[in-house]
Amino acid sequence: MIIENILAAADALFTVPTMALMVLGVAAGLIAGAIPGFTITMAIVLTLPFTFGMSPIQGLATMLGVFVGGLSGGLMAGILTGIPGTPSSVATTFDGFPMARKGQPGLALGIGVWASFFGGVISAVLLMTLAPQLARIGLEFGPWDFLSLVLFALTITASLSGDNLVKGLIAGTLGLLVATVGSDEINGVERFSFGFEPVEQGFAFLPVLVGLFAFSQLLSDIQDRQAAQQPLMPPGAEAVRIEHAQAIREVLKHWGHLIRSSLIGVFTGILPAAGGSISNILAYDQAKKASKTPELFGTGTPEGIIAPESANNATAGGALITMMALGIPGDIVTAIMLGALMIHDVIPSPTFISDEPRLAYGIFLAFFLANFIMVGMQAICLRAFVLVTQVRMYILTGVILAYCGIGIFALNNIVFDLWTLLIFGVLGLIMKTMGFPLAPMILGVVLGHIAELNLNRALSTSDDLTLFLTRPWSLFFLILGAFSIFFPHYQKLRGKVRWTLIYPSAMAICLAVPLFMMQGAVRPTIASGMIMFSLWILWRHQQRGWELVDEVRE
Amino acid sequence: MARTNRDIVAAAFLLALTCVFYAATFTIRKTSFGTVGSEVWPRAILISQGVLCILYLANALRGRYPTDHGRGGGIAGWFSTYRNALICFAIYGLFLFTLPYLGMLIGSTLFVFLVFNFLGGWGVRRMAVHGAIAAVAMGAMWAVFTFGLRVILPEGEILRIW
Repeated sequence: MIIENILAAADALFTVPTMALMVLGVAAGLIAGAIPGFTITMAIVLTLPFTFGMSPIQGLATMLGVFVGGLSGGLMAGILTGIPGTPSSVATTFDGFPMARKGQPGLALGIGVWASFFGGVISAVLLMTLAPQLARIGLEFGPWDFLSLVLFALTITASLSGDNLVKGLIAGTLGLLVATVGSDEINGVERFSFGFEPVEQGFAFLPVLVGLFAFSQLLSDIQDRQAAQQPLMPPGAEAVRIEHAQAIREVLKHWGHLIRSSLIGVFTGILPAAGGSISNILAYDQAKKASKTPELFGTGTPEGIIAPESANNATAGGALITMMALGIPGDIVTAIMLGALMIHDVIPSPTFISDEPRLAYGIFLAFFLANFIMVGMQAICLRAFVLVTQVRMYILTGVILAYCGIGIFALNNIVFDLWTLLIFGVLGLIMKTMGFPLAPMILGVVLGHIAELNLNRALSTSDDLTLFLTRPWSLFFLILGAFSIFFPHYQKLRGKVRWTLIYPSAMAICLAVPLFMMQGAVRPTIASGMIMFSLWILWRHQQRGWELVDEVRE
Repeated sequence: MARTNRDIVAAAFLLALTCVFYAATFTIRKTSFGTVGSEVWPRAILISQGVLCILYLANALRGRYPTDHGRGGGIAGWFSTYRNALICFAIYGLFLFTLPYLGMLIGSTLFVFLVFNFLGGWGVRRMAVHGAIAAVAMGAMWAVFTFGLRVILPEGEILRIW
């Protein structure tokens, strides 16, 4: 069945025009990702109007090309200039830039490119195998479960994306509130327009997202007046030659880091949280801990490039798994992708893969293929990147701002969308300066409609609120949500305070309860295993007298 | 303004905003056909937001948020720090106000030209270069959207008369 679906999707995908469009998409993504301030979000929004006249598979393949290209483009800026092109390539600069400065920029780029490729391919394989399974689980979800999943998505995003949980949660509720403005989807009743006619239909989704995230990001990048007048690289800089053969050898030599980091990336992507910006740091940190030579990290070691680059590309596959199977975006970029899919009348949900197998597997295959195109295009785009980086930052900013405006207008042909872009751009910048994370707000805007729809369905079916606690999946997500609130404190204090010794075991035991409530033999067996393992961990701590890390060192 | 004070002001503002929106939920029309009223979900959000804003205010009053010593200089310092962003927003606002008259082609070219000059300097040679880049970049994009993608971009009063 899977093979049949893949073959049917391949038939639609492997045509000369679609391939050409994918190559263009990857090239555009690589250059956009490489320019600091020009985010993947902007690149996808600018690409969207070009895809209106295409078939859904062509349009989606082009946008996936931009997505994968954008993820890999960030490494060019990070390695050659020390300024990460995207937040998901921050950790790449820790070792990529020192290696380039030591005279091996070609090798550093090669390792980054090939680590990205392998990470992307691993996650594409997992996407193809896991998304249909997750969608099958998603079919068990009722409205109570979906609402609890949305609440979990918001709490974990708020707790992972900033230092302050309260600010993160406020940002999340603000996002949900923005989604309620305008005509109510269920009853058609107007809300919070305050008599202002253009707002009666509500704020369009993409202008809000681009304003909040991309506009504010671009403008905060040009705050420094001196830096804004300088080009990213000095005039006369030349493109280096990527050393592919040596890079492949280095990447495969460290296959353990590659696999671990890719899995970290996929798992982070599956979680509805901050995506690549978190996974690259997490993978770098884990690689350093697992390395035999941790002291070399930060000096230009290949492991320090392999880990973040494989993780950030793998995150895309993970985020697509959740989006394709459940209709819940894994991060900001997939939130934009979700909006783009909706414009093409593609609405991901648990039934999407079984209802539209050709299109769904076309998306999987396009993601897989985009990674191969990315490797081929990197060398060509590197030259274009070097040219672009010799342009002064303020020139890039002015042109990108105007292009974004035209791109946003072209989505719906409504001038008010341009005002929305401005209003949310200002709001995004103010929130950033006040220390509010933007990711929860963006996710709130995206998930607001899904949450309200499911609340309505739940309350229309039954007014019994205890169903949120008695339905296994709903309880599962509520428990995850509750524990995710304490996760930042756990991370900060791990091994230093006694309650952190109990936290993982307590979470596993609590999560076992809803698994026991589920039908069949597999899940209760997993639950039994989780409880046994947790009790064993607790017993070990008890045997050691609840020793903390500091006490062990002493 | 110190971060502590800014947080108190922000928390108070958000709390007031929550109250205004909560009051506005009472003006939402009630229908006879829906099982769940259109005001239920916004109220659930606003109650959660209100509680969070009170927590935020309490934390701000207790000085839980770090004070930003890096900038200083009060409101003037704030304007100085965000000068470039404020200029871009102001010119973008101007572009939107004049869009019905100037249209997308002239308006966006002027927008880009002004952003270049405010951020990059006003020398005669620079202005010429900025003007040329703005005209080529926006003219090309306008042509792609108008003729390639068949998007009807705002024409503006000026071009219509002309």
